[in-house]
Amino acid sequence: MDKASHLYALDRLRSYLPDRINRVVGRMASEEAAGLEELRINAGMPLMGVFSGFDRFIAEDGSLTGRSEKAFYVSREEVEELFYRLCEHSVYAYQDDIARGFLTLKGGYRAGICGKAIYQGQVLKGFKDISSVCIRIPRELKGCAEPIFPFVKAGRHDIYNTLILSPPRCGKTTLLRDLCRIISTGSERADFAGVRTVIVDERSEIAACYRGVPQNDCGPRTDVLDGCRKAEGIEMALRALSPAVIVVDELGTGQDAENIKMAWNAGVRIVATAHAYDIGDLKERLGFGILIGMGGFERYIVLGMRNGKRWIKVTDAYGNQLYTDQAAGLHDGVFRLHGHGAEIFREAESQAACAAEVQGHPSVPGE
Amino acid sequence: MCIMGKPLNKAFENLGKGGYGGVWAPLFCRSGSLLHEQVMDAGEAWRIALEEASATLPLAREDIDLLRDFGELLGKSDRDMQQAVLAMEKEKVSVMERKAKEEAETTGKLYRNLGALLGAAAVILLI
Repeated sequence: MDKASHLYALDRLRSYLPDRINRVVGRMASEEAAGLEELRINAGMPLMGVFSGFDRFIAEDGSLTGRSEKAFYVSREEVEELFYRLCEHSVYAYQDDIARGFLTLKGGYRAGICGKAIYQGQVLKGFKDISSVCIRIPRELKGCAEPIFPFVKAGRHDIYNTLILSPPRCGKTTLLRDLCRIISTGSERADFAGVRTVIVDERSEIAACYRGVPQNDCGPRTDVLDGCRKAEGIEMALRALSPAVIVVDELGTGQDAENIKMAWNAGVRIVATAHAYDIGDLKERLGFGILIGMGGFERYIVLGMRNGKRWIKVTDAYGNQLYTDQAAGLHDGVFRLHGHGAEIFREAESQAACAAEVQGHPSVPGE
Repeated sequence: MCIMGKPLNKAFENLGKGGYGGVWAPLFCRSGSLLHEQVMDAGEAWRIALEEASATLPLAREDIDLLRDFGELLGKSDRDMQQAVLAMEKEKVSVMERKAKEEAETTGKLYRNLGALLGAAAVILLI
């Protein structure tokens, strides 16, 4: 996403903000606003922006500061007003989303909600006394999967079962989304005809549907099961939607592994992601062994970061490296191929949390 | 089970444009468009639309007040609570409807008697 698009996205977001907060955000310098990734709005606390790898308080004049006493303070009433605006003044229409702790807004924004939890029996029914809202500004990086797609493609109408692995916040979902877009749309460059694809979007992060309409481009042959659990979603897709490919995010349990097997038995390809530092890490998890090795995933895309520089590698099921982009690191790496220049530099830096998590792990392929 | 869960602005628009609104259609349309602009909450949008439409609606001040209060509770709670609010408001409206009918009957009788009296007076004057 280039600077202009990001600023446009921020402008659209501002229409949701209560007047005072809207004015403060509007006063931010455009360079800083373009790097804004999250807006954290807490009742009685300073307004905070999360930028590329750091956070800062935002002062009343829109400047950034590390000192909370100079920051603009948000009132409880403003948080409440923001909440109602995010719900389009129709809490009942969003109550299922609220119970999941977030709202997906028009434009693909995602607003996390905190407050007092309300339980009905054992089931979390929703929240009241909303205390904070964290709005994440979406970044759709179209084209980021193009360099690796030839290694995922198995034929003009077929792909390999592919698993994307990385620690949190290294860009798994972004890559998955773009892979999905290419699989569904097709690619002349890679000589691939698009195929029917179903996204089981349990956390509404891949397609970011707003009232049934995907806010991210996931391709014209894509159906989205929004907010649907993986187990049910995969079964439903197999039964009713006749997909060639099912896309799921964040496999994590043994049950997920069973469902993936079920899809394979039905002849459907799977593209999925999982939190893991490498294949070995995933293999050790209970129930995941059946997905690895012979008869399991055929391609692995591993993402990581070392010294603030991203790397990516693609291997086959035998561990043979098919593609790597690590030596030149960030500027010259796979993210260069997004064609977003300095924007990508910021994007990668922004996920510095990832670097911390990678520390102590073999962060470079082959190490 | 499918839940449409339409936001109020959409629901109002549907009521206004879908032919379900009757004489209230302009009120729903206006409320929907005010809400859509996102500059005010449902209560405020409803209140403004109601004030604007009050001159053209066949309602007493008391009726207008009741409808205004109803707007205050719209959209601010979950489905169960909204249903409870709507049920309560429906109850209130039926009480008012009953009162209005009684009043209409009494007033109607009065007008009928008055009409007869005036008729008799006219006959006396003409004789």
